[in-house]
Amino acid sequence: MHISTKKWLFLKCSSLILIPLMTWFIINLVSIYQADYKEVINFFTQQPSKILFSLFVAFAYFFSSLTISEIFEDYINDEKIKNVANKLLNIFAILIPLLTIIGIYNLT
Amino acid sequence: MQYKNNPLSPHLQIYKWQISSLLSIAHRITGVVNIFAITLICIWVSSLFFGEESYEITKLFLNSFFGKFVLISLCWTFSFHILNEIRHLAWDAGYGFDIKVAKITGVLAFLGSFILTILFYLIGKSFF
Repeated sequence: MHISTKKWLFLKCSSLILIPLMTWFIINLVSIYQADYKEVINFFTQQPSKILFSLFVAFAYFFSSLTISEIFEDYINDEKIKNVANKLLNIFAILIPLLTIIGIYNLT
Repeated sequence: MQYKNNPLSPHLQIYKWQISSLLSIAHRITGVVNIFAITLICIWVSSLFFGEESYEITKLFLNSFFGKFVLISLCWTFSFHILNEIRHLAWDAGYGFDIKVAKITGVLAFLGSFILTILFYLIGKSFF
């Protein structure tokens, strides 16, 4: 399979998974954003919100790294700058969700 | 290296403004805004580690007028991105390519995003 086809398939599959996760998250964000510290902690440490939020963050960064790399492809001409931008994007897309998920699983 | 001489996309000032180009640009902008917001949410979640006292500062911001404005704006960027992504998925499945249909679905996605924003907010606030 061509790498671009693979990328397109990953993009479409992740967007399909993200649609219900985004809907779930935004509704819950509205319900907890003014809540007390303990309620917020409860939300992020209880199931199923713990696993759903982890999945949401992981898929959101995966999807974003694929789509933002397309923006780089469209608007950056210099190959070196494009490669550096893509590498930074990938590091960012792995580190932030990883640290957040580790953080959530260590919250008590 | 085979892509080295690929032409770049036309820049924004080249386009003749129409619903399809506006939505395409808005889709990309809301996508970037969403990931920026999700990053801030990750920082917010991580800040829970520092305990209840430091969380009070975050809570003050979230309860302010600006905090509410940010939340409602986020409801809209999520709503718009979801609806326009469904439109993109329909195109990928081979539906809605006709210019007239593409314009109608574009308007529906744009107007629908405001309705969805209100729905998300009301459902989140347990209004129903």
